[in-house]
Amino acid sequence: MTFDRVAIVEAALDASLEQAAAPAARLAPDAPLRDGSSLTARKALELFEDQVTSRQLDVAARELKKENRSFYTIGSAGHENNVVLGAQLRITDPAFLHYRSGAFMMARARQLPGTTPAFDTLLGIVASSEDPIAQGRHKVWGSRPLWVPPQTSTIASHLPKAMGLAFSLARARRLGVAIDLPDDAIVVCSFGDASVNHATALSAINTARYAVRIGLPMPILFVCEDNETGISVPTPEGWIAGTFSQMEHLRYDLADGEIDEVWDTVSEAVRFVRGARRPAFLHLRTVRLWGHAGSDAETSYRSAAEIAAIEARDPLVRNARRLIETGAATAEEIAALLEETRTRVRAAAEEATHRPRLSTTEEVVAPLAPWHSERVAGRAARPVLDPAARRELFDGTLPEEVPGPNARTLAGCLNAAMADELARRPELIVFGEDVGRKGGVYNVTNGLQRRFGVGRVFDTLLDETSILGIAQGAAHIGMLPMPEIQYLAYLHNALDQLRGEAATLQFFSSGQFRNPMVVRVPGLAYQKGFGGHFHNDNSVGALRDIPGLILAVPARGDDAARMLRGAIAAAAEEGRVVVFLEPIALYHEKDLYADGDGGWLTEYPAPPSTLLPGQIGVYAPPDTEPADVMIVSYANGLRLSLQAARRLRENHGISVEVLDLRWLSPLPFEAIREHAAVTGSVLIVDECRRTGGGVADALVADLAEAGIGHRLASIRAVDSFVPLGSAANAVLVGTDQIVASALTAVTGLART
Amino acid sequence: MTDRAVLACPGRGSYSSTSLGSLPDNHPWVVRAEQLRAEYKLEPLLSLDQSPRFDPARHLQPVNASPLIFLVSLIDAEAAAHDYDISAVIGNSLGWYTALAVTGALAFDDAFRLVQEMSILQQEPLPKGGPGGQVIYPLTDAAWRPDPRLRAAISAVLEAPSRNGDGHVHESIDLGGYAVLAGDEAGVARLLNGLTPVRVGERLFPLRLSQHGPYHTPLVAHVARAARKRLGGLGWRAPSATMVDGRGARWTPLSTDPAALRDYTLGQQVTTPYRFALSVHVALREDAPDVLLLPGPGNSLGGICGQLVVAEGYRGVRSREEFEAAQRSEAPIVLSMRR
Repeated sequence: MTFDRVAIVEAALDASLEQAAAPAARLAPDAPLRDGSSLTARKALELFEDQVTSRQLDVAARELKKENRSFYTIGSAGHENNVVLGAQLRITDPAFLHYRSGAFMMARARQLPGTTPAFDTLLGIVASSEDPIAQGRHKVWGSRPLWVPPQTSTIASHLPKAMGLAFSLARARRLGVAIDLPDDAIVVCSFGDASVNHATALSAINTARYAVRIGLPMPILFVCEDNETGISVPTPEGWIAGTFSQMEHLRYDLADGEIDEVWDTVSEAVRFVRGARRPAFLHLRTVRLWGHAGSDAETSYRSAAEIAAIEARDPLVRNARRLIETGAATAEEIAALLEETRTRVRAAAEEATHRPRLSTTEEVVAPLAPWHSERVAGRAARPVLDPAARRELFDGTLPEEVPGPNARTLAGCLNAAMADELARRPELIVFGEDVGRKGGVYNVTNGLQRRFGVGRVFDTLLDETSILGIAQGAAHIGMLPMPEIQYLAYLHNALDQLRGEAATLQFFSSGQFRNPMVVRVPGLAYQKGFGGHFHNDNSVGALRDIPGLILAVPARGDDAARMLRGAIAAAAEEGRVVVFLEPIALYHEKDLYADGDGGWLTEYPAPPSTLLPGQIGVYAPPDTEPADVMIVSYANGLRLSLQAARRLRENHGISVEVLDLRWLSPLPFEAIREHAAVTGSVLIVDECRRTGGGVADALVADLAEAGIGHRLASIRAVDSFVPLGSAANAVLVGTDQIVASALTAVTGLART
Repeated sequence: MTDRAVLACPGRGSYSSTSLGSLPDNHPWVVRAEQLRAEYKLEPLLSLDQSPRFDPARHLQPVNASPLIFLVSLIDAEAAAHDYDISAVIGNSLGWYTALAVTGALAFDDAFRLVQEMSILQQEPLPKGGPGGQVIYPLTDAAWRPDPRLRAAISAVLEAPSRNGDGHVHESIDLGGYAVLAGDEAGVARLLNGLTPVRVGERLFPLRLSQHGPYHTPLVAHVARAARKRLGGLGWRAPSATMVDGRGARWTPLSTDPAALRDYTLGQQVTTPYRFALSVHVALREDAPDVLLLPGPGNSLGGICGQLVVAEGYRGVRSREEFEAAQRSEAPIVLSMRR
């Protein structure tokens, strides 16, 4: 036997109105609901209106789903006391909300006349392109004018960026970055009692407390909406209070009981965070009605009696009773409100189903990876530093004038390029583990903190999730973060911060919110046997698999400086998320063919000279005839390919054109095709794992499908983790292998 | 089931020659209005309404036009309440005062006083640069398609650097398909000279609205100040039906703060742009009515609401042709109670 729990809960609410006992006298609208409470009768009614609207939106979502006219049924039913937060927080307090925030949003929207929160929600539920935040790409709670960046929030992965924004508020102001938030703004983020167990949530809370410990402001309110369940798994009794009520540097408040008690508790917590600029954990008791989502058959893990017991705790029934018992409203007034809201939400839902949806690929992907070459180039070209100020910045000697070889390595050029960018872009900040005082484990950020101060170049705690959270939060308010993840292998524990969060923001907000950043990541192998897997990671596939992400991989100093400027310009102009993967083995490499030849040193290109995505490096053979073979590579593979090219020329009389991809995502297909069409024989040298990185696969496939090149071949690293010592050579691509493959390619490997 | 209606009360331009004879002479509100008019020592409304001919100088004078319109609208709204479920009430400019009466936020006497006093105050000269006025300019072509050049023409005039003697210009009312701009006398001249002449249908724009002051702008801040003094005794109440104001804010029966309603009506409503288009947008979306019902006099909001329905894409109507087809169907979206 099945029960329509929606109808049962709706009927119970109606029935409760008949049973509530009315007081002798009407409570004055401006009188408190309870002596000593700051919640007035009128305000309580306003909250209740928003709660009822939220509930009816959930009802509408379920009704539409029955007819296959809606696409999202995760609801707010039972969580409606979060309305109190929507009413008390300001629309200039950035809010990162989880998916049961209907009442919160209804109340928040009241603060901005002219908004249409109920209809906007319905547009999201039916996935209409008129949904003002996601345009039908997802059902999210979000609004640019209400300062609610959209979240998917399924695993509390939005907490690090909320923390990051709280971390950045005071810093942005101190650095003179123009932000649209007042001095006393605070950040709120909400999540469930199950998702708070997630590493990302704990990361954010830990970093918030750490900030307090080291004396930094951290005005954030963590709101745990505790419905005692994660889909079907009960949260152990007392788990949330037990875990979070005793943490050092974290205030804890339990919001429970009558609506006026919840109101007063929230009021205290908000006042604390706003005044003390310190974090608080608000434990808001809720219930979950109607299962996790429309598809969740609650009866498979709960008895009918258990379900009924939860429904008996419906906050709307309790709040209606409270309003009637205190004399704030009559049962008839509440009934009229219910009726009116049901009618208008039902009608609005019907209207919403007739609104258009995204239909073409172009419409769907429009905000994913915006790109306007001329604008990005223009951004890279300016501002130009005053020459005298620049000279002073570099203590009298410009980096392009430094004679010593160390300034002309990849690390040296990157260091100078970062200094130049920091000098001309006041919103740029550099941070990560050991990047400050130490200057980075490879000296790439050496001296930057001394020159630009701890406000702009700073060390973080050892937590990649929080580093990327800080980057996102800072970027939300107009800063241009350039975080460093110390090693590529350390990125994976935090990868979802890029994939699920940063890279999706423009997509799910239709470009209304953005978090531009350039994430610097030292990585790749060839460190002469040192370091083992964790310092020689070559898993670029994880990054290439993120839609919209730009992946830059420089090989030499001059390229690195120019590419870094292009990466920063792409982030600043288009809001793009860029990963700048720096080959550790080439940081301090000076030579190309033989010890002491200095062939890998370059001049430092003064700004604003720039390379943009799509622009490849070309190492043409000395003569003008088409080369016998073309080798396409990047990073360490480029240097090895150039070595191989010389051997092929000198030992075998074969002329080789070597191309440097420079950008691994998006791949510069067009440029490669153009060159391949001339040369014909193409060898791809991919230093990443044979079946993992995907660079060689993608290039070979593209050329094959385009019918370009009569001979295509590739060599790649072995499907293995990189071992320690000389064993590393057994899994990595080497020069001998390149020479052999090139010979085969030229002498007759047919394209199959 | 009774159709659900959003009631949209018209503004000052709605009483015209065809409106003569609109008032039922023994309706209790008409009787009461005449008593109040007598207290103000103003010409009886019935004598105006029953004039053999329409005299613009007399009928369009604010002290006469405002209460005439208010009364006709209110009587129509009362009739509508018998036939429709009124889900929300909105108004254009003066129509906001009517909305207050329709929903009982002000009792009849108080609402009438509000209308009459405001019309008197609005006839008084500006502190300087008077009398000033309103200029209407289209934003769409004859097929109701937005024309960005027209919007740009307005922006150019509003944003042009002001020189000495140029006066002041402001946005006054956003009707969606038309913008009403306002200024002191020099400002009005600037609007009339600065806006590119454009013909839509048979009418040539920019067009100065006869006997209209620069309402809904800071130029009439003195009116708001005087109104707060003169109208301090009005009995403000929560409305019986939801109202949507000229900022798109919703005022609901349960949670409206009468003091806030007073402050808005005698403050922002007077001195900041009245966004009628936004109020329609909010009402269509949040209340999703079966019809937009337009009380008389006249049908000044008929085309304007049609344009707003098209702009909203309400019920899938996205062009003038589709709107006109919907109007001919069994379920028209905009219903005018008078023509």
